[in-house]
Amino acid sequence: MSSQVKKRVSGGIVGVILLGAVVVLSSAAYTVDETEQVVITQFGRPVSSEIDSPGLHFKKPFIQDVRRFDKRLITWDGDVNQIPTLGREFIIVDTTARWKIVDPLLFLQSVRNEAGAQSRLNDILDSVVRDKISGTDLEEIVRSKDYKVSHSDLEDPALTREDVDLTAKPKKGREELTREILEDARKSMPELGLELVDLRLKRINYIDDVRQKVEERMIAERQRIAEQFRSEGQGRSAEIDGETEKQIREITSEAQRKAEEIKGNADAEATKIYGESFGQDPEFYAFFKTLESYALTIGSNTTLLIDADSGFYQYLNEIQPAPK
Amino acid sequence: MSNWDPRTEYGPEYRDQIEMAKKHAPNFFTAIVLLVVLVAGLFSSIYTVQPEEIGVLRRFGAYYGIADPGLHFKLPFGIDTIQRVPAEQRLLKEEFGFRTTAIGEPSVYSNEDFSGESLMLTGDLNIIEVTWVIQYRIRDPQKYLFQVREQQQSLRDASESVMRRIVGNRLGSNVLTVERVEIAASAREELQVILDAYDSGIEVSTVELQDVVPTERVQPAFNEVNVSRQERERMINEAEKRRNQQIPRVRGEALQIVAEAEGYATERVNRAHGEVVRFNAILAEYKAAPEVTRRRLYLEALESVLPKVQNIYVMPENGTQPLPLLDLKSSNSLQKATQGAVIQGVQQ
Repeated sequence: MSSQVKKRVSGGIVGVILLGAVVVLSSAAYTVDETEQVVITQFGRPVSSEIDSPGLHFKKPFIQDVRRFDKRLITWDGDVNQIPTLGREFIIVDTTARWKIVDPLLFLQSVRNEAGAQSRLNDILDSVVRDKISGTDLEEIVRSKDYKVSHSDLEDPALTREDVDLTAKPKKGREELTREILEDARKSMPELGLELVDLRLKRINYIDDVRQKVEERMIAERQRIAEQFRSEGQGRSAEIDGETEKQIREITSEAQRKAEEIKGNADAEATKIYGESFGQDPEFYAFFKTLESYALTIGSNTTLLIDADSGFYQYLNEIQPAPK
Repeated sequence: MSNWDPRTEYGPEYRDQIEMAKKHAPNFFTAIVLLVVLVAGLFSSIYTVQPEEIGVLRRFGAYYGIADPGLHFKLPFGIDTIQRVPAEQRLLKEEFGFRTTAIGEPSVYSNEDFSGESLMLTGDLNIIEVTWVIQYRIRDPQKYLFQVREQQQSLRDASESVMRRIVGNRLGSNVLTVERVEIAASAREELQVILDAYDSGIEVSTVELQDVVPTERVQPAFNEVNVSRQERERMINEAEKRRNQQIPRVRGEALQIVAEAEGYATERVNRAHGEVVRFNAILAEYKAAPEVTRRRLYLEALESVLPKVQNIYVMPENGTQPLPLLDLKSSNSLQKATQGAVIQGVQQ
């Protein structure tokens, strides 16, 4: 062979070896992310226990595979279910939970992947929640253990309810209930390599039918209260008007009584004064007063007929006084 | 023209050039490849972190360090990876029951229905709508990235369940009015506890309640209660006002009545006193000289009366006809006398 060809062939061999090395390396080296935990399988069967320290690792090339699993908290969101409570109120419950894979090997063996896990969780959690809710009264589900109502609220007419006991303190309360659901779920769950960390009642609402009835009740209640306020207003206002009327009458009649008394006293005193004075000589008083009244009563339309020997005209006839 | 061969066509010099090109072609090719690789490497080793961000570095997937804002270098080709996360000073927001579509004065809100997020039951088993906003920061970027997978969803789920627990523990009318501040404060505390339990690296800065209202169908009835409450006050106030206007007026009138009576009384008594004083004086005169005083008074009275009189007829004692008297008055007087009334004679 020529040197050139020899060079080419050796270059080619080097290239091939290099390429081969790269391929092998890329199959043997793998990274584990901070958020991951992995299981190495060989021919489909798991080999080592979980490896979850992040970074660069090596495995047997080609014959071993890397199965990756999330190390973080994963969300489970349940279906929204209609569940009747113990008191036969139909409510819609939306629960969420957080879980994580704690034993990836076991996880792989039991549910294989997250989809499988979610489906198992669905079954278990839905039924646990349903059992719990249907065995509990609505007040217990909605209220917490530290529920209390103040006295002023109980006495407020705007807050009274006929159908609900406002003071009933729940025996367990929402938090405890949720804890119990979590406990039950954990117990019912077979060993799947995962841990149920947290479960919460995210939403609780009435179903539409019930909601309408509740709203109608609320409307009727409010209207009743409004009516009550109005009639209270009218009643009190009429009361005040009545009191006012009474007071006016009292004041006026009292004043009139007093006025009459004063006038009466004055009349009496005047009469006494007159009497004391005029009584000294009643005849003279009659004479004097009558003369005054002549001046007032005899006027321009009067015609007088006077005796000729009256005290006035006597001197027209005789200059001497008439005999008395 | 098959088997066209430049070597034979163009001559020996060209043939050499082609030979040279063929020898160097592989090197040229590798040079291009190397250049591409170099440029790619350069691009994948430079990165920037924006001012409101923090960069989290991983080497072969393992946490390697934090990168502050600015220009940095890392190992290329995916050996080092960078993930950016909002910095701690950035305040992030989650809205519940509504969405702001445009910030401004005023802000614009979405018309979509978010009532699934806002409807909740109260302690007295009524239904109300609560809307609220959470503001939070990413305190620990490592935890934020490595502990919880769906951070936003988890935050929202936790917040909704906390708000419902708190509202479900209180009476609806209190939630609507006086307990808003308490509720927001409790919600913040409880939410933080849950997020810490998740090791989420999130710090809740505030929880603020927005509109807390009865549902749409019920609102008019709630408003009616307020209106009627005000109306009650108004009716009572008006009745009080009437009272406050009328009573003083009537009191004034009463005083007036009494004052008038007193005035009458005073006048009556004073007049009596006055008349009596006058009479007493004249009486004294009379007592002193009875005949004279009597006649004087009589004559004075007649002096004042007779001039006014139209006709005077003086009758003789036994006569039936009047004495003829010179009438100094008008000529009609005689006619009037025969027509008009005749008043009784004055007797001494």
